Amino acid sequence: MAKPKAFVKKEKCLACGGCISVCPQDAILMVISKALVNKEQCNSCSICVKTCPIGAIGWEEESL
Amino acid sequence: MKYDVVVIGSGPAGSVTARFAAEAGAKVLIVERRTEVGVPVLCGEGISQKVDNFKILEGKRWIATKMEGARIFSPNGTHITLSAEFAGSETGYVVYRDIFDQELARGAVKKGAEIMLNTCALDLLKKDGKIKGVRAQHFNEKLEIEADVVVGADGVESRVGKWAGIQTTLKPYDLETCVQYTLTNIEWDSPYCDFFLGKHVAPGGYVWVFPKGKDVANVGIGILASLSESGKALQLLDRFIAARPELKKGEPLRVITGADPVGEPIQSVKDNLLLVGDAARQVDPITGGGLMSSIEAGKYAGETIGKAVEKQKFDQQTLSEYESLWKKAFGKKLHRNYVAKEIMLDMEDKTLDMLADSLKDYKFEEFSTLSIIKALVTKHPSLLMKLTPLMKLARS
Repeated sequence: MAKPKAFVKKEKCLACGGCISVCPQDAILMVISKALVNKEQCNSCSICVKTCPIGAIGWEEESL
Repeated sequence: MKYDVVVIGSGPAGSVTARFAAEAGAKVLIVERRTEVGVPVLCGEGISQKVDNFKILEGKRWIATKMEGARIFSPNGTHITLSAEFAGSETGYVVYRDIFDQELARGAVKKGAEIMLNTCALDLLKKDGKIKGVRAQHFNEKLEIEADVVVGADGVESRVGKWAGIQTTLKPYDLETCVQYTLTNIEWDSPYCDFFLGKHVAPGGYVWVFPKGKDVANVGIGILASLSESGKALQLLDRFIAARPELKKGEPLRVITGADPVGEPIQSVKDNLLLVGDAARQVDPITGGGLMSSIEAGKYAGETIGKAVEKQKFDQQTLSEYESLWKKAFGKKLHRNYVAKEIMLDMEDKTLDMLADSLKDYKFEEFSTLSIIKALVTKHPSLLMKLTPLMKLARS
């Protein structure tokens, strides 16, 4: 099974951009003041998940 | 649309660059993806009083409080004090960053710059491999904005640098991940800006309390992203507040997150493209403070661009004057404090307690991290081995 991809909980994101600045895959964009993960580029490294100061990034499976 | 300069981002770095470029006669456009300059605030809102020397802010509406000084608390509560009394009365301000940013932008506009809100830069406009401006989106409309110089003042998550091939991705150990409440209904009567250190308080960072007026303060935390887990910064901040009777009855007026680059500065000029501010990592790696350096760098960038426009020369050599100027002004300081940050990260809590204890009655004559480093070097010859690289840097 493929690894789950990082997923931004939009209702929590406060748009600081920290996740974007550390993503080694350049897979996160700010879209209308919310971070958004490009699933195609995400390699599930978890850096953004750990970096988010308020826990607004989880794994895709959790959100289903 | 054709301009001499297009500046991406309307924060302090962008607005100050625009101001000085416009003042020198350049036709300047600032593009901002948000709907209001300065909003949302993403900052602890402290700045050195040196900002007055730049004469770029009118009135006092942007000032919340003038700091009496700063206190730094070691893990066991021992504190050192940098007081206005001994520091030639020059300390700093706690500001309203939304008003502060709008005043800087207003200053740029008064010198002739234009601002486009709701405009997201998408990519560089290139022709025959040369940078000719930016592609942007204004609501649903795609735009091509031609410009002789492109300035990336697009903050910690800068994309502009990447488009030009500058490596801007931060390692987690070079990023402080932050969250802050503006609390009211608190009983925090300190006129000082307070900093709290310790592995259990804020691993690789600190908690701050910046008074913002009667019973209001910014209470925030930054931790090193390499030591962070999901949501850890917020948990630690809530724990800090809950443990303090003076703060725990506080109610939030604002909650914000932030990300603060604390790595070494990167290349800031590539052909006819410049990076300024957080985008260029012009941030003090110890304090995480970047307002003063962004403003100073913005001035150099604007002036350099002004000269380039006058001469109609937009090559890397002409524009590199900007990088020489800011490196000369504060490049060494950033490097020195990066080394100091690395040393501090290795320190155990009890070492911090010991160092704080040895300096608790020290009268610092300058309101700066350098004055603390110098005092440490003087007081602790036993730490010489560790501090050797710092001493060399402090002397230079």
